[in-house]
Amino acid sequence: MGAIEDAQEEVKPDMTPMIDVVFLMIIFFICIDFKVLESKLPAYLPKDKGSQSTVVEPQEQLSVGIYVETDGTKQWPESAPPGGGINAMTKRPYRFKLTGHRVKWEVGPKPLYKIEDVKAELERIARDPSSQVPDKDKGGKKLMPCVVEAHPGVYYEDVAKTTDACREAGFTEINFGGGLGEKKK
Amino acid sequence: MDLAAIAKQNVEMDMTPMIDCVFLLMIFFVLVIDLSQKNLEDLILPRAVYQEPDDKPAEHRPIINVLQNGAVIYNQQVVYDPAVHGKNYAPIKELLINIKKVGLAEKKLKEKPETIGGKTVMLMDDPILVRADKWTEWHYVGEIMKQCSQPEIAFWKVELAMSEQDKETGEKNKKIGGTR
Repeated sequence: MGAIEDAQEEVKPDMTPMIDVVFLMIIFFICIDFKVLESKLPAYLPKDKGSQSTVVEPQEQLSVGIYVETDGTKQWPESAPPGGGINAMTKRPYRFKLTGHRVKWEVGPKPLYKIEDVKAELERIARDPSSQVPDKDKGGKKLMPCVVEAHPGVYYEDVAKTTDACREAGFTEINFGGGLGEKKK
Repeated sequence: MDLAAIAKQNVEMDMTPMIDCVFLLMIFFVLVIDLSQKNLEDLILPRAVYQEPDDKPAEHRPIINVLQNGAVIYNQQVVYDPAVHGKNYAPIKELLINIKKVGLAEKKLKEKPETIGGKTVMLMDDPILVRADKWTEWHYVGEIMKQCSQPEIAFWKVELAMSEQDKETGEKNKKIGGTR
């Protein structure tokens, strides 16, 4: 075979290593995607309240009540039996999605139906000089604490959204009322 | 060609297997890191804007998971199941007391004296993380918080797990009211 024929011969690169690497990269990025960033919301409990057998003075605070307006519909995955059940693979109950769930808020005595209105009302209260209460620890004045009171049937999502609105309005001391019990079935 | 000539030949090294191995090792370590977080149940956390990053958590922070049905899971074990225990929340209380007792005995958790209302009480100095699904009824989370406030438990630094992205809707953080 002459040199010219050699040069004209089709050069076939070996694709196998490249495909190997591409597959590995796909697996790598899929694995990375599963790691969802988590963060936290400090919900420190008042040290001087609850069941500690100590005597404390009552303090003025803003009540933010959450009430269920519409329960919503649970949507189970197609693979789940009607009404849910245990997933044999994970040994955990099937997870549902809730649609049409609506809540009503009561900031002080004022009823509100949208989270944007709750935020606006909280901001108005936070700006009001009468919302300042004496700071017993540091002296001077501070914004009054607010207590998020979730009524029966309220979900963690509703509380998270409300707490977020409180923090955005400038409330730093947020307490949670948890003793209102479960929904009557 | 004699042996000396062969030895002098330019030997090209094939890098592909080495790259393959490096990638495999990377995947292995990513998975190993994930496995170390085995006490994190597969939940969809609520999204919140005003949250704090949880990139440097306390080393021995206990993590309590709450499923949609209210079941409380600790270290992959179902501690409280509403279908079984109903309104008997004693298993949650026992769990928290046990976490405290074991943590203090193994010196993984610390207590700190605090003066409240003129009285000295011992409070836990370490936080506790509560991870609940976004569609978990709040009263289950509230019950854990209530138990945490009991004097014999005194885990007052309760942290609620949130997410920067809602895995259910795919929504990412934006300011409430839409003006950031």
